[in-house]
Amino acid sequence: MAYKAQFGPGSSIVAENRRKYMNPGYKLEKIRDMSDEDIVLIMGHRAPGAAYPTAHPPLAEQQEPACPIRKMVAPTEGAKAGDRIRYIQFADSMFFAPTHPYERSYLESYRYRGVDPGTLSGRQIVECRERDLEKYAKELVNTELFDSARCGIRGATVHGHSLRLAEDGMMFDMLQRCILDKKANMVKYVKNQIGEPLDKEVKAGKPMDDKWLKAHTTIFHSLGGVAYRDDAEYIEYVQRIHSLRTKYGFMPVE
Amino acid sequence: MTDAIYPQVRIVPERLLNPETTERLLNLIAAVAGVRRILLNGPRLPATVPYGPAHGTENPHTLRRTIRVCGEDVDLQVHVGYVLLELENRDVIPGIKAACDEVITEFSYSIKEGRFMKTEATLADFAKYGPDADKSVIGMADPRSRQGPVIIQGTK
Repeated sequence: MAYKAQFGPGSSIVAENRRKYMNPGYKLEKIRDMSDEDIVLIMGHRAPGAAYPTAHPPLAEQQEPACPIRKMVAPTEGAKAGDRIRYIQFADSMFFAPTHPYERSYLESYRYRGVDPGTLSGRQIVECRERDLEKYAKELVNTELFDSARCGIRGATVHGHSLRLAEDGMMFDMLQRCILDKKANMVKYVKNQIGEPLDKEVKAGKPMDDKWLKAHTTIFHSLGGVAYRDDAEYIEYVQRIHSLRTKYGFMPVE
Repeated sequence: MTDAIYPQVRIVPERLLNPETTERLLNLIAAVAGVRRILLNGPRLPATVPYGPAHGTENPHTLRRTIRVCGEDVDLQVHVGYVLLELENRDVIPGIKAACDEVITEFSYSIKEGRFMKTEATLADFAKYGPDADKSVIGMADPRSRQGPVIIQGTK
């Protein structure tokens, strides 16, 4: 390919973070260590250690039609084994969460194969084959893309993105899936992502401090953070796209 | 239903208030002479999961508990975001500010004057309370819930 992907405009730290996270060549910093079992428990799709239920026989055992595309595209591990499609959904607080719904969808599309990300105003869902999902979810949760207080794994009842924080700095959660253990300074999940109580607590690491959050956030925020209007390059780019899209049907001349 | 002659204020804290903070704040506010009505607003904390795959299962939540205000039990059903007050007159506002200053110390808050409480009975109010409803009760509790407002005695 003749050109190098630029991922996005902007000269602010927020824009820089957006580009970093989207860039598959950038190695995400690991900041916590949740195990495979922890991820499986929080997602709640199957019991830890249980076999993966299948939606169809493994590809090797079924007759595939002669198709040039199937020959070109190597199936993911989950697709090869015939796994079910399952999901993980995140809600991110507008108070300096490391990622936000659109960013998540962009970065997942750049970084992962066989995913179907869906963006909503305050939450983002990604669907894919179950064993692929567990691998991707582990990276999404264990790296700098996730903060245990400002991001939540929420399959249903996701409200919290645009609300004020609780006194202890946690994002509002009607189902209180995770609680902050103040003594240990540790966030613990006590319910899975749809709100069913877990048999054991799952430690999701310590909440990061404001300094770290502001250095890693991808959200513009005029109160306490980087204001969108302060990033002149970003504004210029967005205005240019807006102008070209508006004029497109007529005569898009720059 | 509210009356335009009584001023109203809204306390807007920077963070959602815990039950302990709410209890301390309300005890100070309710003790200020000239406070007619108090309304707590915020995102709801239901006792059971209202929708989704876990619909109907119990929803234990540490922020939904009963607080005690001037000797009366108040069941919190929301994570308190706003405290709306109706006052006898504007002279009460400094006392409200003093109460807020004493309790809300970790983060900022603001007090706004305006009209924040319900001014007309809605269809749901009419269905619940009928045509001859007590006007001071309209808007003080969710008409769809089985609970009414809490009446605090002996502060006047």
